[in-house]
Amino acid sequence: MAAFAESRGLVGRVFGRRSATTVAAAILSALAGTTLAVAAIRAVVPDVAPVYLLAVLAVGMLYGTLPAVVTSVAAFLLYDFLFVPPVYTFTIASPDEWLNLLLLLAVAVVIGRLAALQTQRAQEAADRALEAESLYGITGVLASTRTVGEAAPIVLARLAAATAMDRAWFGLGLSPTEERIVADTATGEALPMPGWHVVLQRPPDRPAHWVRTHVGRAGLRRSAKAVVHRVRVEVAGELLGSLWVMRARAEHEPDRAETRILAAAADQLGQAVVRDRLAEEATNAEILRESESLKSALLDSVSHDLRTPLATIRAAAGSMLDRSIGWSEEDQLEAFQTIDAEAERMGRLVRNLLDLSRIEGGALRPELAAHDAGEIARQAVARIHAEGKAIGVDVPPTLPPVLIDDVYLGQILANLLENAVRYGGSTIVVQGRDLPDEGAVELSVADDGDGVPVRALAHLFDKFYQVPRTDDLSRRGMGIGLTVVAGLAHAMGGTVRAERSATGGLAVVVQLRAADVPPASQAEPVPVPVEASR
Amino acid sequence: MTPTAAWLLLVEDEEPARRLLRAYLARRGYRVDEAASAREAMRAWDAHRPDLVLLDLGLPDLDGVEVIRRIRRDAATPIIVLSARGEERDKIAGLDAGADDYLSKPFSVGELEARIHAVLRRLGGPEVGPDGWLRLGPIELDPTRRSVAVAGNPVHFSPREYELLKVLLANQGRLVTRERLLRAVWGLEYADAREYLHVYVGRLRHKLSEAGVGPAIDEMIATETGIGYRVAVSKAAEPAEAPTAG
Repeated sequence: MAAFAESRGLVGRVFGRRSATTVAAAILSALAGTTLAVAAIRAVVPDVAPVYLLAVLAVGMLYGTLPAVVTSVAAFLLYDFLFVPPVYTFTIASPDEWLNLLLLLAVAVVIGRLAALQTQRAQEAADRALEAESLYGITGVLASTRTVGEAAPIVLARLAAATAMDRAWFGLGLSPTEERIVADTATGEALPMPGWHVVLQRPPDRPAHWVRTHVGRAGLRRSAKAVVHRVRVEVAGELLGSLWVMRARAEHEPDRAETRILAAAADQLGQAVVRDRLAEEATNAEILRESESLKSALLDSVSHDLRTPLATIRAAAGSMLDRSIGWSEEDQLEAFQTIDAEAERMGRLVRNLLDLSRIEGGALRPELAAHDAGEIARQAVARIHAEGKAIGVDVPPTLPPVLIDDVYLGQILANLLENAVRYGGSTIVVQGRDLPDEGAVELSVADDGDGVPVRALAHLFDKFYQVPRTDDLSRRGMGIGLTVVAGLAHAMGGTVRAERSATGGLAVVVQLRAADVPPASQAEPVPVPVEASR
Repeated sequence: MTPTAAWLLLVEDEEPARRLLRAYLARRGYRVDEAASAREAMRAWDAHRPDLVLLDLGLPDLDGVEVIRRIRRDAATPIIVLSARGEERDKIAGLDAGADDYLSKPFSVGELEARIHAVLRRLGGPEVGPDGWLRLGPIELDPTRRSVAVAGNPVHFSPREYELLKVLLANQGRLVTRERLLRAVWGLEYADAREYLHVYVGRLRHKLSEAGVGPAIDEMIATETGIGYRVAVSKAAEPAEAPTAG
């Protein structure tokens, strides 16, 4: 049954495997048909033996060489028995008939063989086309995906379909027993222990071949039902992992075409892994560059923001120290006030820096308690150096107390107010608003300046973010004030957002949790200490 | 020249610093115009043409370097840059744009006044005498005969050394960046070859020192690390409008 063996594998799946019974029945019916035809036309046609060649041709085309030869011999005997005198015996009277019959046999065998070859070629061509299509389907995956995680399931699904595997999976790791499974066509089922498996050897100078092997301690007994195949995934000689496929033991070993597809799939997966690695390296390099540039931005800003108040302090102190100048008491008072305000500003910067590092290190430990937001707002306004700008506080006395750390909220308001004084308009207002449905209170610091572009609003709380201006070397702040505001607010369970203020400038809104107040407070408002100074 | 106080334009966006510096400089006898932005600075420049500009580079509306370029289009008025930016590239950008000197914040008011004084002295005194000679202390350079003498005794210099000394003497009271020196003496293509400069300035100082100037040469041609050289002003050229303390 060599012809049958040839038709296995891809061809077998395309044409379906035929049982010996089917073939025998086909041969018998072909012979019966042709015999009837011979009997029918024998009266008019002198030599009808070649009609049997049609049966041989048909069987050869459909089932290959061996059935064709069988058909030839059977036709030879049948013709001899039925039509060669003396009929109904296998005896042949005339030597001419002998020659005739032998010629029929020879021609039948040749025709049968040719027909079988013809069919085989056609099947091979179809196989090639199918294999090429499968390979194309697998190699194309890399172009349409970005990561191994994306590519592997598609490659495996296509591979399993092209090679009729029951299951295919892909693991990354340096040895079969320590692999991390990246993708698997069967989900949920436990993977078979590697144990006994067949591994594809791909020596550079010889054709690829399968070698039975065993790894690990588990599964020393061979599985009765399935055979596991492994193809090493290697790139430039470096082992990255394995491509595994499994099919029923009853099935044959992967044939050459299937082996090629498996090898191609393994190579594609290897390329995908390398591509992932390169992408990751590039990302890491990018992150490193970014953090370097952040560091230099921090140094730059710290240097600028600390030197600026320091310069003013030195100018004030230096002026006062100049004995050749007779400063009036008023001049002196102003100089000392300036020194005080600038030192306060420096202190705030240093505190922001410390807070930033605490925020980034996750080391903020707010001491939450119920406080009156209005009082904290008024204290913050009193401390800020307004530089001639009008700062109002509009917090209704009915505003419920907020659950906050008063030091944090003080720092938040100081940062927002200083920003408003430095970059905002001439009128600044701190407003409070009750959001009873959300159990929250909103505090906002708004100015009537030029505001910031809508695009920039979302980035205001990013570290080192500077609102873009016409010239990027324009007046620079450290760009950490608002980052600290957001970090402190989040630490207290609050949120921040930036929006356009009612007067066209910038408003930064801090939403804080309202403190739980006893039910009695609904009838009788909580006494809120109100400071006279505004 | 009439002995009037020098008219300064102080461009500084930090309000407290500006107020204090203005008060101090006014008390030291200068007339001071103030500007809080580049736009105000341009307006003040166009209106009064001050004798000297004190310029903070970090302005809210425009980079200070633009202000320097704009002033340099009109006049050679001395400009002293004041900046809190620590980066040397900022100083160099300002100086290359035409600023005369640079002060990093925080500076002492005394230091500021000394710089103002030095720059104004150069303005008042002739760089080039009626004879065309360049002088710095005992050093005399005769451009027509390409000769240099210290206290009357001729000193021999190579052509490159001579050119370098000439550029330095012509920039008294200024902070000259290395790049400007290299361009002037070696030409454009050598603007990055800084090692030349160290060697040549070293030789120049050595020869002048040996010829009788002595260790004072290190102050006359002082190194400003990372930037260039600051050339002192010849004592002979006292400014006519030295301000009086008020």
